[in-house]
Amino acid sequence: MEFDNLKEELLSVVDTGLKYGTSLDDSVELEIFLFYESNAEADIAQGVVTAKDGVTTGNAVRAARGKQVGFACASGIASDRVKFSVNEAISIIDAVSVEDERFSGFCDPKSPGKEGLVSDEILAQGVEDLLGYCQEMMKDATGVDDRVIMLNPSASTSWGGYAVGNTRGVQSATRYGICFAAMYAMSKEGEERKTAFEYEMTRDSLFDVSKIGSRAVKEAVGQHGAKKLDATKTMTTIWHPKASATYISASLGQSVLGQPVVEQISPLCDRIGDNIAPDFLTVIDDGQSPDSLGANAIDAEGHPQQVNNVIEDGVLKSFLFDTYFGRAHGVDSTGNCSRGGGAFGGSTPYESGPSASSKTLKISPGSKSFDDLIGSIDEPALLISEFPIGIFHSSVATGEFSAVANCAFLVEKGEVQYPVQACSVAGNFYEGYKNLRSIGSDVTATYFGVNVPTIVIDGFSVVG
Amino acid sequence: MKQLERAIRSERNTMLDLLKQSVQTGEKLGADFVEARYDDLSLRTLQRTDDVWKDIQVKSRMGFAITCYVDGVAGFSFTASTEKKNVLDATKKSYKMAHASASIASLKLPFDKGPSITSSKSDTLSVKIHPRDRDLGHKTEMVNRAVESAREFGENIRNVRGLYGELYGQKLFYNSDGSHIDWDFLVTDLRCIVTAKTDTGAMVNGAQGKGGSYGLEVFEEADNTPEKIGEDAGSNAKEQLKAKACPAGKFRTLVEERLVGVLAHESFGHLSEADFIVTGGSPLVEKIGKQLGTEHATIVDGGTPDIAKYGGLWYPYDDQGTPASETVVLDKGILKHYLNNRGTAQKFGQVPTGNARAVNFVFPPIPRMTNTYFMPGDLNEEEALQLLGTGVYAIQSSGGQVEGDGSFLFKAIRGYWVEDGEIQYPVREVSLSGNILELLGRVEGATNELKISSGYFGGCGKGGQFPLPVGLGGPMLVMDGVTFGGQAEE
Repeated sequence: MEFDNLKEELLSVVDTGLKYGTSLDDSVELEIFLFYESNAEADIAQGVVTAKDGVTTGNAVRAARGKQVGFACASGIASDRVKFSVNEAISIIDAVSVEDERFSGFCDPKSPGKEGLVSDEILAQGVEDLLGYCQEMMKDATGVDDRVIMLNPSASTSWGGYAVGNTRGVQSATRYGICFAAMYAMSKEGEERKTAFEYEMTRDSLFDVSKIGSRAVKEAVGQHGAKKLDATKTMTTIWHPKASATYISASLGQSVLGQPVVEQISPLCDRIGDNIAPDFLTVIDDGQSPDSLGANAIDAEGHPQQVNNVIEDGVLKSFLFDTYFGRAHGVDSTGNCSRGGGAFGGSTPYESGPSASSKTLKISPGSKSFDDLIGSIDEPALLISEFPIGIFHSSVATGEFSAVANCAFLVEKGEVQYPVQACSVAGNFYEGYKNLRSIGSDVTATYFGVNVPTIVIDGFSVVG
Repeated sequence: MKQLERAIRSERNTMLDLLKQSVQTGEKLGADFVEARYDDLSLRTLQRTDDVWKDIQVKSRMGFAITCYVDGVAGFSFTASTEKKNVLDATKKSYKMAHASASIASLKLPFDKGPSITSSKSDTLSVKIHPRDRDLGHKTEMVNRAVESAREFGENIRNVRGLYGELYGQKLFYNSDGSHIDWDFLVTDLRCIVTAKTDTGAMVNGAQGKGGSYGLEVFEEADNTPEKIGEDAGSNAKEQLKAKACPAGKFRTLVEERLVGVLAHESFGHLSEADFIVTGGSPLVEKIGKQLGTEHATIVDGGTPDIAKYGGLWYPYDDQGTPASETVVLDKGILKHYLNNRGTAQKFGQVPTGNARAVNFVFPPIPRMTNTYFMPGDLNEEEALQLLGTGVYAIQSSGGQVEGDGSFLFKAIRGYWVEDGEIQYPVREVSLSGNILELLGRVEGATNELKISSGYFGGCGKGGQFPLPVGLGGPMLVMDGVTFGGQAEE
């Protein structure tokens, strides 16, 4: 398939599949999801080249009769594979009498929203181009500092789309294209090893890889000479966008979703209308801005994607729903149906049943630059400047988290003083939102599907 | 039945034929070596949350994966199609990439051709009740029984989830050695998770489960019935209602087997995967023969443990067709071996260890773990508590993560504060962190029983390949100086 005719081709297969299913049993409601993605990747790790190029295709079918729902999926979008899934999904509801009390039918048809931008240049990328980007990043990074022991550039380009059709009349499709380039750098001084990860992701143009390599090196070597914090106490923590993105994603990114809200295990499930953060915090989920990485015309069940206000001036305004959880909560879908894990669905999203997830969470910027935020902090504080490990191993129900900040610095008297050795940071996410001291103006798009600035939070437990 | 068996055999022969044609095509194009594999795997997932059957899912994962090597450099492609044209197109793509990459790669990992290996029927684990022989109704009933039992034994319950998963099917492989591998993979898993609410409004969790390469007969054993699994999950959540926050700081710890498994896997196993070694990313580079831990620290990785005795994952061949082996990675604290694929094994002068795995046909195989575990020692549980003295007894895990510099974090779902060898009170979910190379030097003792856990839900993630079923385990270990990220004083 080609990008230009992708939607028509997928919709044709959807239509055939629906007709096949209704010919087997016209008492059954059916939904068919088809996925197509062409993906090329290149990676050079210390001279070892890994190259991959292929097309991932798959289909997923849900069949429903009253409150009985069956889900089946298969790799491939050939008609025999779609028929396999249709047959299996119908077999499930024929074989098993258990019911989903919350289910009340599939998505109703609505006019689709807008696709995001896709650059023709992205579509034309091949593995040879990606290998070229990797070499460019290597060249930029090599020779910057003798302490570097490992450089690992990688680049990928993906384009594709998905189509959804159901027996209620939904028949829509959407396309996307994304390219990603990154450099992982490791430096060593004595026995001290430090790492950094820099990247660019775009959909509306080719990325500029020219500075990614040297940025990663400088960030890694800048962590050497780390001293022990030598403290076990509550402290102010400053979360650089690479870290604050994980904070937002692991907390709000889970707790405002339909499933934990409806199942009553989200710490925010009874809090609509409440002040959960200071009035300078505003968060939207944006499924439509053309350059947003999560923008698509339709979500994963065919509902138009939209822009949703999640937090406005510190007040929790809405949750993010698909049709299933929205109806269970007595509201409409907010266009947040997704399939697959991670910010962008993972490599085989058709294998996951639909559920609600964010598209692109965007935190409105504050007025202070990063330097101004640092300058405003007099007492000892911990600056966390990379993804703290373990933060996603938190429980959505408890809101408790504990993570290790490997890339951290002591801030005191308005200045970054020196790097510190790995520190454990623990607390409760939602206490953190209440204790949010300030947010920066340095909003950054991240690969967690969150656009976020530096944030400063008081009162977490730090051990170092 | 015979007709069905004949049909299955015929289909396998057809796919094997396609694999052979792929290898021949790659070789004709100029590849030095070609590996072709085919998976036809079925997955079923059942999930009940309270009285709602949210998910009853059936999945089919079928496709071809081709790796061509040129001058020790790999190119990879794949297809979900079983049409000869598409399989051969994927082969050509794979060769083209290997050829383009070979001119750029400055570090190549060639490997010599080896003897042709042919699998046998006994390589597929034999079970009494294969999940394909029980219908969905049987499995939903197991979940129902677990959920009802959890409700009976829990308190202040907010939410109960019961989950069942199974993954099984054929894995075929052919390569330029003429190796022909044909075996069936199997994983089953039943688990229960209870969320309860304390009087102060906080949520706590309790969980229990059994998973690995088991037939369904394992859920008829007294310790593993759905009722027992539900009872344990409910009781654990109930205990957590009264648990105190674990203090923050560095403490002595007794780590229970499942958590020891996560330690073996996350903190040491990943660092010994040879792709991290060959690229210099692991702190274990050039440390073969060095003393990295105490004599109580022996870590093994192997694909075919005694499942009946210890549990785990049955994995007789990796995705390069290498037979499983029991690799002693760390022997009484001395680093002995890395976890290799064929290329890294040749580079390091080691043997291929059966650790080249891909999570599905969409990915190339990379060094991954199989079953990774600490070897047992000679203490019983009472002696281990006495050796602990005062500290934290950490139990069950919700996973963890490791960084290239050796720093790790993993989560204990629950535990106890212990003083002078006596359990005092339960503590809440807490994280344990540290640097593995320091921690291995502080292992003081191990209990005398080995337990390995595996399962369908969760799994290992690396290079975007998630979730890969793995086994992990060990005895209980006593360690000093572990950082707990609990509650610090104001």
